[in-house]
Amino acid sequence: MTGTDVKRVFLEALAVVAMGAAFGVAANALSPRGLALGRNYFPQVHGGSAAKEAPRTLPGGAESAGAAIHARLLASGFQPIDTPEVLRLHRDPDYGQELTVFVDARNDRSYAEGHIPGAWQFDRYYPEEHLPDLLPACLVAARVVVYCTGGECEDSEFAVLTLRDAGVPAEAMAIYVGGFNEWKEHQLPVETGARHSGAITEGSR
Amino acid sequence: MTATPSTASGFRAGAWAALGARFFLGAVFLVMGAHKALHPPDFLGALHQYHLFGNHVLLNLTASVLPWMEILCGLFLLAGIAVRGCAVVTLVMLTVFSLAVLMRALALQQSAGLLFCAVRFDCGCGSGEVFVCRKLLENVGLLVLAVTVAAGPADPWRLRHRL
Repeated sequence: MTGTDVKRVFLEALAVVAMGAAFGVAANALSPRGLALGRNYFPQVHGGSAAKEAPRTLPGGAESAGAAIHARLLASGFQPIDTPEVLRLHRDPDYGQELTVFVDARNDRSYAEGHIPGAWQFDRYYPEEHLPDLLPACLVAARVVVYCTGGECEDSEFAVLTLRDAGVPAEAMAIYVGGFNEWKEHQLPVETGARHSGAITEGSR
Repeated sequence: MTATPSTASGFRAGAWAALGARFFLGAVFLVMGAHKALHPPDFLGALHQYHLFGNHVLLNLTASVLPWMEILCGLFLLAGIAVRGCAVVTLVMLTVFSLAVLMRALALQQSAGLLFCAVRFDCGCGSGEVFVCRKLLENVGLLVLAVTVAAGPADPWRLRHRL
């Protein structure tokens, strides 16, 4: 290739970048699932960054990973809770009376595939879709349990921050450390589809 | 001057190789870009973990634009439009992605005390959780294809050689 050819190729590349950028901005603006460019989706968590250097394959097994996450959540000002406590709250009569509320902070697809029975969905990336229904329920509840996939998933933490900013008392909210993965591992009932859809798969316990 | 049979067949083989590289690269970018464009929050979350952006607007903008850039490049490569320009763009993107994946994998390796190739995470590449060595090898393969398309012989089956 000659120098002119190289220059031409780079100009072409620049044109492609400009077209791609324009295409992307337009598609994001038109898409109902587009991102709000000005919104900070990852606010700084009190006590340090929410971002963790925690790969899926941790030495020491799931137990030590869970303990590390537990400690980090406490240090960040959250209230971590584990499966026995979550199960107690889920079986408490308060749950049926909406005095205890479960909040699933995963996306539409994951929620529809299965969630803790009766849990509200709150995809924190699209708060305007969920808050009108969810917020009144959280404001009257004495206990709000927020969960996501579990493990290194941060969505429950950011969901708690969003709910706190919307007026839900921080002391009423707790994060289920093991999340939905641990719930399933314990073979507990799972509801599919919409909330109170009635489509519940019972676990073996 | 006319081409001898051996140079003609050599040209044909080079042209087929260039066509294969262009199609493969285009298809990969189209599929990966579409996966990211369909799930913007997933890609945003993956991009956030690299800590490359000091500003959330820049992070959101990158997460919004990059998948569509990949889709556009994929479509152009498949159709044979502005092929060399698109190949250069994919080359730059692949280089930046690979360096970012390498840096993050090294950070994860250090924090967890793992062997480098045992590190596994969702790199935001559109293929879910992957082992880092495999991902980097894939990227090297794609880089070779991008270089082939950008600097190699032109295949004659392009819709438009330049923009």
